[in-house]
Amino acid sequence: MTNDRLWHRLAVHGVMIALSVLALFPVLWMVVTSIKPANEVFSLRLWPERPTLEHYAFVTGAMPILRILWNTFLMAATTAAAQVATGLLSAYALVRWRFPGGRLAQSLIALSWLVPFQVVMIPNYVLATQLGLLNSLAGLVIPNAAAAFAVLLLYGAMRGFPREVIEAARMDGAGSFRILWQVVVPNLRAPLAALSILAFISAWNDYFWPLLLIRRMDSSVIQIGLQFFMTQEGNDWGPLMAAATLASIPILGLYLVLHRQVIDSFMRSGIR
Amino acid sequence: MTDTARPLDAAAPPGAARLPRIMLRRAEPWLYLAPALGVLLVWTYIPLLEAFELSFHEWNMLPRAEPRYVGLQNYQNLLSLPDMRQAVWNTLLYTLGLLPMAVLIPLAVAILTQDLHGRWRNLYRTLIFVPMIVAPIVAAILWRWLLNEDHGMVNALLAGAGLPKIGFLSDPQVALWTLVWITGWKLIGFATLLFSAANAGINPAYVEAARMDGATRWQIVRDIRLPLLSPTILLLTMMTILFGAQWSFVYINALTGGGPLRSTTNVYYVMWEYGFRSMTAGWSTAAGMMTFAVLGGVALLLLRVMKRYAVYDE
Repeated sequence: MTNDRLWHRLAVHGVMIALSVLALFPVLWMVVTSIKPANEVFSLRLWPERPTLEHYAFVTGAMPILRILWNTFLMAATTAAAQVATGLLSAYALVRWRFPGGRLAQSLIALSWLVPFQVVMIPNYVLATQLGLLNSLAGLVIPNAAAAFAVLLLYGAMRGFPREVIEAARMDGAGSFRILWQVVVPNLRAPLAALSILAFISAWNDYFWPLLLIRRMDSSVIQIGLQFFMTQEGNDWGPLMAAATLASIPILGLYLVLHRQVIDSFMRSGIR
Repeated sequence: MTDTARPLDAAAPPGAARLPRIMLRRAEPWLYLAPALGVLLVWTYIPLLEAFELSFHEWNMLPRAEPRYVGLQNYQNLLSLPDMRQAVWNTLLYTLGLLPMAVLIPLAVAILTQDLHGRWRNLYRTLIFVPMIVAPIVAAILWRWLLNEDHGMVNALLAGAGLPKIGFLSDPQVALWTLVWITGWKLIGFATLLFSAANAGINPAYVEAARMDGATRWQIVRDIRLPLLSPTILLLTMMTILFGAQWSFVYINALTGGGPLRSTTNVYYVMWEYGFRSMTAGWSTAAGMMTFAVLGGVALLLLRVMKRYAVYDE
């Protein structure tokens, strides 16, 4: 029996170690390759003989990477803030009142997640062009200022909020916005934090809409910067890995500090 | 926390001064909904209608050119196009290929490793989740390097083992599966965590009771765990079927451009090519409408299946 147990434990750890290596090794290999000098890039050594930052120097010279990272940060932070705000207001309306059209509004919000972006990309592109949003960060943020998952996540979180507390505040003569801001929001810290993290990472990693909207390097976000870089320096692996590492550092850094919260926020709202 | 937005108290006299207040109270929920609904209407639903309209027109997307009405011609052309048939078939392959990586393997791993606790469990969780937060384009670059034909690590190891090299992205027989692999690589750890969480939520009393009745380990999995995991299984299956082919778009665009020999294209990539490569807005939107119709039908069907077969622990 104990022998059986031991084998089972070994199998369990074996599977998890294999999965962990599979998940992590490509990322580590990216970092390792990025600090290998040019003559070592093709070697299979797991650590360079002479680590170097030359590829990073090359990348910072070849594209305005700090500028691009800053753009991306602004874009992702604004998008996340907007999604939290619009999500909070809508979820509040849907939970607080029962009103004609409420169900319809809720379905419209929920179903928007079923519309593939590729289906609406041409009208979106035309509209963005007409509004003068090409090559602008505002153009990246505005269409994503509301998201179904934000509304649904906060709706789920708010539904469990005790009704008596709201009633008490209402008796005290508080208006609906004051109740939201002073009574509901302080009790939603965990889901709000989870949503912010999720929205920030999703916006940071977004690829398709920037691909359509951004044509210039200096107004670019990092995903598109990488795409440009890959097209230009296609097989210059050292610099390419350095660029990819730079692009990942902010998110991986965030994960290093907040991994529990990050995992939790993704688990809360499914996949998309 | 629900109360009605119509405080039309029968006892209150209908005074003219009250009217604006009543109107305001009726409008109140809509004021809160306006920002989100506004964005979704302007950037999702109205564009959806516009795309529908465009799909009956011919337009090269130049601002000065007028779209020309062509009826159903775009649809007819697309349906008779071998390109499109290939794309539909590949979309199916992407979806089927992803199911093992997004559902079956994670499910098996979650059940196998359910006894893990404490430090180890947290460590593994933290590690296997990493691909989920790696940007898709970074994932594309990573795997392009690892799977490179001449200098990539995987082919170097294959050569070291005396095996022939594989053109992961250049062999038409292989390229699609490479992209499926990369798409799945990002998902597999996350899906495992979802299953683990659901599995940990199963009431241990059921398992204990079955064990008392002499059920074997496999019987417990089959008769208790799998049925109670069915909501998660169905959810992940549905997400994969609905969105799997969309997730692989980045990798197609960044790594193969639909090639070699159109072997990795799918319907989403075709829409992109018609729209922004060959500037035929009518074709792109017609393909989009057909995809959306199929997607909507599949979603409805799957939701019904979920309602019917998912087992919930009441």
